[in-house]
Amino acid sequence: MLFDEAIQFIVLGPGLAALVAGLFQRFIGDRGAMVVTTVIVLLAGILSLYQLFMYAAGVGGAGHAEHASLAADTGHATDYVGQHIIKLVTWMEVGQFKADWAIRVDAMSIVMMAVITSVSGLVHLYSWGYMQDDPHKARFFAYLSLFTFAMLMLVTADNFIQLFFGWEGVGLASYLLIGFWYQNKAPNDAAIKAFVTNRVGDFGLALGIMAVFLVFGSVEFKTVLSAIKENSEVVPLALAEAGTVRELVVPFLSWNIPALELIGVLLFIGAMGKSAQFFLHVWLPDAMEGPTPVSALIHAATMVTAGVYLVCLVSPIYEYAPFAASMIALIGAVTALYAATVGMAQNDIKRVIAYSTCSQLGYMFFAAGIGAYEAAMFHLFTHAFFKALLFLGAGSVIHGAHHEQDMRNMGGFARYMPLTYGAMMIGTIAIIGLGLPHVWGLSGFFSKDAIIETAFAAGMNGVPFGQLAFWFGIIAALLTSFYSWRLIYMTFHGPRAEPHHDDAHGHDDHGHDHHHGDPHESPMVMLIPLGLLSIGAIFAGWYFYDAFVGHDYKEFWNGAIYAAKENTVLKDKYNVPEWVFWAPLFVTITGFLIATFTYLFNRGVGERIAQNGGPLHALFANKWYFDEIYNATLVRGAAWLGDIFKTGDKKVVDGVGPDGVAALVRWSSRRLSAMHTGYLYHYAFVIIGAALVFGAILFWRGGGAG
Amino acid sequence: MDFPILSAVTFIPLAGAILILLVKMLTGAQIRPDGTEDERVVYAGIMFSVATFVMSIVMFLSFDLSGTGYQLVEEVEWFSGIKYKMGIDGMSLLLILLTTLLTPIALIASIGSIKHRLTEYIVSFLVLETFMIGVFCALDLVVFYVFFEAGLIPMFIIIGVWGGVDRIYASFKFFLYTLLGSLFMLAAVVYMYLTAGTSDVVQLEQFEFAKGAQTWLWLAFFASFAVKLPMWPVHTWLPDAHVQAPTGGSVILAGILLKMGGYGFLRFSLPMFPDASVLFQPFVFTISVIAIVYASLVAWRQTDMKKLIAYSSVAHMGFVTLGIFSFTEYGVQGAIFQMLSHGLISGALFLIVGVVYDRMHTREISAYGGLVHRMPVYATLFMLFTMANVGLPGTSGFVGEILTMVGAYQASTWAAAGAALGVIFSAVYMLTLYRRTVFGKITNPEVETIEDVNLKELICLIPLAIGTILFGILPNLIFDITRESSLHALAQMAGG
Repeated sequence: MLFDEAIQFIVLGPGLAALVAGLFQRFIGDRGAMVVTTVIVLLAGILSLYQLFMYAAGVGGAGHAEHASLAADTGHATDYVGQHIIKLVTWMEVGQFKADWAIRVDAMSIVMMAVITSVSGLVHLYSWGYMQDDPHKARFFAYLSLFTFAMLMLVTADNFIQLFFGWEGVGLASYLLIGFWYQNKAPNDAAIKAFVTNRVGDFGLALGIMAVFLVFGSVEFKTVLSAIKENSEVVPLALAEAGTVRELVVPFLSWNIPALELIGVLLFIGAMGKSAQFFLHVWLPDAMEGPTPVSALIHAATMVTAGVYLVCLVSPIYEYAPFAASMIALIGAVTALYAATVGMAQNDIKRVIAYSTCSQLGYMFFAAGIGAYEAAMFHLFTHAFFKALLFLGAGSVIHGAHHEQDMRNMGGFARYMPLTYGAMMIGTIAIIGLGLPHVWGLSGFFSKDAIIETAFAAGMNGVPFGQLAFWFGIIAALLTSFYSWRLIYMTFHGPRAEPHHDDAHGHDDHGHDHHHGDPHESPMVMLIPLGLLSIGAIFAGWYFYDAFVGHDYKEFWNGAIYAAKENTVLKDKYNVPEWVFWAPLFVTITGFLIATFTYLFNRGVGERIAQNGGPLHALFANKWYFDEIYNATLVRGAAWLGDIFKTGDKKVVDGVGPDGVAALVRWSSRRLSAMHTGYLYHYAFVIIGAALVFGAILFWRGGGAG
Repeated sequence: MDFPILSAVTFIPLAGAILILLVKMLTGAQIRPDGTEDERVVYAGIMFSVATFVMSIVMFLSFDLSGTGYQLVEEVEWFSGIKYKMGIDGMSLLLILLTTLLTPIALIASIGSIKHRLTEYIVSFLVLETFMIGVFCALDLVVFYVFFEAGLIPMFIIIGVWGGVDRIYASFKFFLYTLLGSLFMLAAVVYMYLTAGTSDVVQLEQFEFAKGAQTWLWLAFFASFAVKLPMWPVHTWLPDAHVQAPTGGSVILAGILLKMGGYGFLRFSLPMFPDASVLFQPFVFTISVIAIVYASLVAWRQTDMKKLIAYSSVAHMGFVTLGIFSFTEYGVQGAIFQMLSHGLISGALFLIVGVVYDRMHTREISAYGGLVHRMPVYATLFMLFTMANVGLPGTSGFVGEILTMVGAYQASTWAAAGAALGVIFSAVYMLTLYRRTVFGKITNPEVETIEDVNLKELICLIPLAIGTILFGILPNLIFDITRESSLHALAQMAGG
């Protein structure tokens, strides 16, 4: 088992690396910055993976006997009873409002640390190749490490305030990296859109944290969550009478709402922003303006899963907030389906994967919404590997194709970049969840099917939206298979398309010369991360199934995730009808066949369907017109209001106030005298006059007393 | 009697100003044919302000952080029971330190950018510093009033003489608004003296004014403090004043003068008129939230960099009043913190604007764009203060905002929700500003040759950057000092 020092290194090391690379790049140069950040983050990755394996082995060897002996060797398997908190220093303490800088080690944070640092380390390495021609490498690597640090602070927080620090910190890093190529308009727009949309979510999150503090008088997870688990009596700081927490009702705006429902909904609004859920998803596709390694790390594997992490972390709240939970299930299910429909109609390779991410996050949310937090975390875990793999694979394609991102200009790349092709195939098979029920499959099979089965079980148990989530999940699985294979066929198969350059091309264009020619395979430094991620994409689901959602799940999570007594969905997933196990496989194959038919055997059919697709295709291709609607209402509305206020400031406030008075004074002073007075004298006059009056009163009063 | 350290801190700048004037009179005017003056006078001014800073550090060290009540008290009979009484608590201690830190920075920033009537400029700043410190030290209502009002004059002169094209309009507006507030406050001061028979702040805190009297006394003080802060809708002098003021003036205006309003609420309104404060809480909450939302939206629509930041100040001060009038420890501590933090951040942002204004002589946002290509260090510092102004956790901007909102939430969820909207809008206007000035391609050929921040500018900005981050990560450094003052103000309220 790891020492506290090692854990501190995992969390703080990347922060230090970011500082060194950011502040001292002039002295250590690009190469120095790259070495420092990459080495530290890779080291942190190895340490956290080691920690995860040891931990999983300790709780029953993830079902594999050989690992139980490893746990016995180390002899520290029982170190993690519940959680272990390393306090660094007090952050702020005002009355009961107390937040520490701390590192919380429990099952949740161990899983997240492993995901973050391992993917981040590989992305750092990959970027050596991908960013080799970029003139601002030190800055890039500093941002990457900064992100890693903020994300680690988020997942190891022991209180809501540090979580918020990480939450906004990753938002900052995301903003900086989306807008990394700041000379161009599109990345700048996308960066601001991402930050502001996230802030809309943070509006909810911040209010949620305030509500937590009001109700519990604390922002520490331990205090808050154990109060809910034990249904203890809490004394709200204001606004409400004391009561047992699950029954407590508090006022919010004009309503009286059960406290846990209020907190649950507000926190989820934050999660919706960060995890790009329906209504607040609009920033994620635009975020693809950032360099592709960034998309892999931040906008696929880690940051966007922070919302899922938050919901699972505060699972006790949602266990006793049925309305909030059903809202999560509904929004998640809708997102899963919505994003998949849009993903079918995109031509930019990165945007297809971005919508795919959005859709997969929807799966995680509806799993959490129906009470299967463990399944949500499991999918988060496996998804990180195969989605990072897909993005880095796409990056390899873009790199090899001289910054071409439009799939219509691709085709037949398989023979130019066979290794990339292989990696993308693994990623695709993993994401569509191919596998033989009760036998074996790739990562996505284990985690996605676990979600679909629990959704069905939830439906049977009468959990709200359980049925809906199941069916939306099934349809989305069909679409996932279709768009994933469409991507493969358009990119790697068929005849080699003649490159033609139009305005749509060149998102990833960072200013260096285009050396046109045949696509080529990427360098080893980019292929090695693809290989390592492929291992995760293939085996992570199988290896960790028992620990995350199988028969060892209670020991594995060890209280980090909480389920009420009535919530049995995770166990009931074994009791669903046989056809439920086979349904995902059936739709996956169906999607595969449709894609194969329209994009491989009859190349061009797909595009013709798209062109004649009419309103439905237009709806999908235009992302259901969300951007247009938001622009026309929210953005224009706020601008209009701002303009009115701006004019009002000049015309109304000043007009009635100083300008009006000035006009009056000017008018009367012209009447009274032609004297040329400066305003300063006016002022001095008033002061002196006032002083005289004051003195006179004092004098009079003194005289009176005497 | 001990060494009168507060008087020393207060009057060193004034003494310096007199000395500078004397030297100038004795040696004759040093005005060159082209109208410029010997720049050494600036260094003399800086020297005096740094001496004041050093003295204020001595004051800090003499202050007993675990003590209660007012410390380092000096008391001299003046006339008719009015005393020259000085004394500080944790809140005033930090505001004085902020003043003595920002004044030298404002003077250093003026090197090279102010050319005419240099001596008078320096003298105005030093005199202003004395009055500002005096405001935070005064423990007698009359002494406070004198400092409070006197401080307007040098500021008025700074804007009116060294300001921009519309400086007369701006200084006039500044004058009209503050005059309005001052008259009401003067009447209240007289009444209080006559009723309570003393103008001693400590005794006034114990005196219980009748409820009816409290109401109008509160309103009279409010008129003055609300203008200073400034609160909506009496804020419109601020954008004009900032736009016209020279950089140094803006730094002091945003950094210190605005804080006098918040200080006044905490020192006088809450402890002395507790019933009226409670009575007016909904009113203050309403206009604070309006200020936050309204000013943020207006800020977004500005085309002038300084105006944008001025409106952002109005929004950020809305958090201060929200916190103070929540009457909770969280809100009050947050409000004091927010005042200090805003002093650092807005001061820095005005310096940031000043840096490019000195080079390009325009504040129009559209004249810039692509600065990052020529000014990487500048871009980095600008980003830091942008994020601090947006309230990113880890910077000092966050701590004040979250605590004032926590305080407000306990009084009214509407107020907290309204204020939280400001969290969204601040991101909109600041990021838009940053993106239009710093990012993008260079469109204005003048930007092609612009130079990055120089040593002088770094000397001004680095201390503020350090403060912004340090107090963002370890805000307890501040809270430990202000806890006593906050609890005292609240205890006065509850007790009186």
